[in-house]
Amino acid sequence: MFTAIVSASTLRDALDSVSVLVDECKIRLNEDELVIRAVDPANVGMVDLTLEAAAFESYEADGGVIGVNLGRLEDIASMADSGDLIDLRLDEETRKLHIQIDGLSYTLALIDPDSIREEPDIPELDLPAEIVPEGAQIDRGITAADMVSDYIRLRVDEDEETFVIEAEGDTDDVDFVLEREDLIDLSAGPADSLFSLDYLKDMNKAIPNDAEVRVELGDDFPVKMHYDFAEGLGHVTFMLAPRIQSN
Amino acid sequence: MGNADLRDIAAIEDVSFDNISGVVAVDAHNWLYRYLTTTVRFTPEEAYTTRDGEEVANLIGIAQGVPKFFEHDLTPVFVFDGGVTELKSAEVQRRREQREAAEQRQQAAEDRGDTVEAARLDAQTQRLTDTIQETSRELLRLLDVPIVEAPAEGEAQAARMNSAGLVDYVGSEDYDVLLFGGPRTLRQLTSAGDPELMDLDATLARHDLSQDQLIDAAILCGTDFNEGVSGIGPKTALQSIHEHGDLFAVLEAEGATVENAERVRSFFRDPPVREDVSFDTTVEPDVEAARAYVTEEWEVDAGEVDRGFDRLADAVTQTGLDDWA
Repeated sequence: MFTAIVSASTLRDALDSVSVLVDECKIRLNEDELVIRAVDPANVGMVDLTLEAAAFESYEADGGVIGVNLGRLEDIASMADSGDLIDLRLDEETRKLHIQIDGLSYTLALIDPDSIREEPDIPELDLPAEIVPEGAQIDRGITAADMVSDYIRLRVDEDEETFVIEAEGDTDDVDFVLEREDLIDLSAGPADSLFSLDYLKDMNKAIPNDAEVRVELGDDFPVKMHYDFAEGLGHVTFMLAPRIQSN
Repeated sequence: MGNADLRDIAAIEDVSFDNISGVVAVDAHNWLYRYLTTTVRFTPEEAYTTRDGEEVANLIGIAQGVPKFFEHDLTPVFVFDGGVTELKSAEVQRRREQREAAEQRQQAAEDRGDTVEAARLDAQTQRLTDTIQETSRELLRLLDVPIVEAPAEGEAQAARMNSAGLVDYVGSEDYDVLLFGGPRTLRQLTSAGDPELMDLDATLARHDLSQDQLIDAAILCGTDFNEGVSGIGPKTALQSIHEHGDLFAVLEAEGATVENAERVRSFFRDPPVREDVSFDTTVEPDVEAARAYVTEEWEVDAGEVDRGFDRLADAVTQTGLDDWA
């Protein structure tokens, strides 16, 4: 059983954070929250999303799992104005999701959840540094890095207590230094890792500019980025595996 | 079927390095040959000639060509040819004659001072000498790049490794990989831009052919191992295979013959390959040892290879989240 009413912007923000990594996903319709966890086919990037029941206008569910084609669902959600409410109702018999937006009815065929890639285990990592910038600062660093390279280096300078975003191209280099006072918070630790911009750019697209992003970073370790949306009732964690020197 | 004929019917699409990754079984002779010809054409001879007069342009080619794989998340496995197939001896003989003719024209061009023409022809005279065979393997070993020795044709071996699921792609310029049953071939790995992906299943589907019929059509047009039937090009070959079903039915209907037809056919269907190959795709190159081997032991100008070795030393590989689970 699943029926819910949700604002179009909340649903779109939730779907955007997942669709940057995968085309299909499982949605867990728990009693008190909706949960999506997905990893991209190359097992490099992961998203873990929770949307609390309180983020919905109304929400009733009993722990079922559905599989959806994210592109389709996003297309439908894009038919709504951001203030519109979207009405979702699962038909258990036909395994279809009925969606209503301001007089428009849509019936979405669901995907067998067993045919979708296994949800990943979240690696338990205790990362030594934590940096809290705004989404806009991450966006600025990524946009600049993308001008010169395919990779981006994130590191913490423990002596200067700064967060440094760097990229080295064949000819040009970029670095973007954020001091402690530029940041919402910084707890310094040994942290220096390289990431593929292909992935980080996609994740960045989903991160709102005004979000507080809690970045956990290590030395040649995956990065975790946590942020909230839907007025603090939706929570996203991205995790991205680093690139490391092969020798 | 000559290469141009097969290109006409092959399903080939441009792909971006960003969208491909995995292990690629590289037809070593095909790959090396491309680097040899360009190196020889664009590099001063002194840079790759030892005091004893040994030419090792291959070492420059490898130093310049191998980094590209790692920079694009591809792990190469180099597949070297074994002995020359008896069937192919006519083709080898033809190439030798071409090379000798090129050598004569090159000498003539040099004599009349036409350096551009001489350099172009010099590139055509390149062949894989024993020194090149040995030093290529040794440099690849120092770079920890896996090597597979094929019993005969390297591309047939690479194709089988691909169809058996041991590798994700074959790397070769040669369209014959289709005939040997290689599912996915990356072409233009030696060029500057993005590669092409040649897809066997899509090729067969496009022309509504079985693998055996594709081979039969190719034999009608002519392959490296046989002369084709005069007047039959790819279009006609496909048509008549569809009409008559297979090679021998077509030959009977046309009143034509192909020398060694049965042998060529079974050679493509079931080429001599090793099934028991294994290799370690965790590559940990000893870049400094490789650099010393090339520049000190074989006296190659450091300026020609430094950038390649630097790129290798800097190459980083994408890890997976499961590495931390």
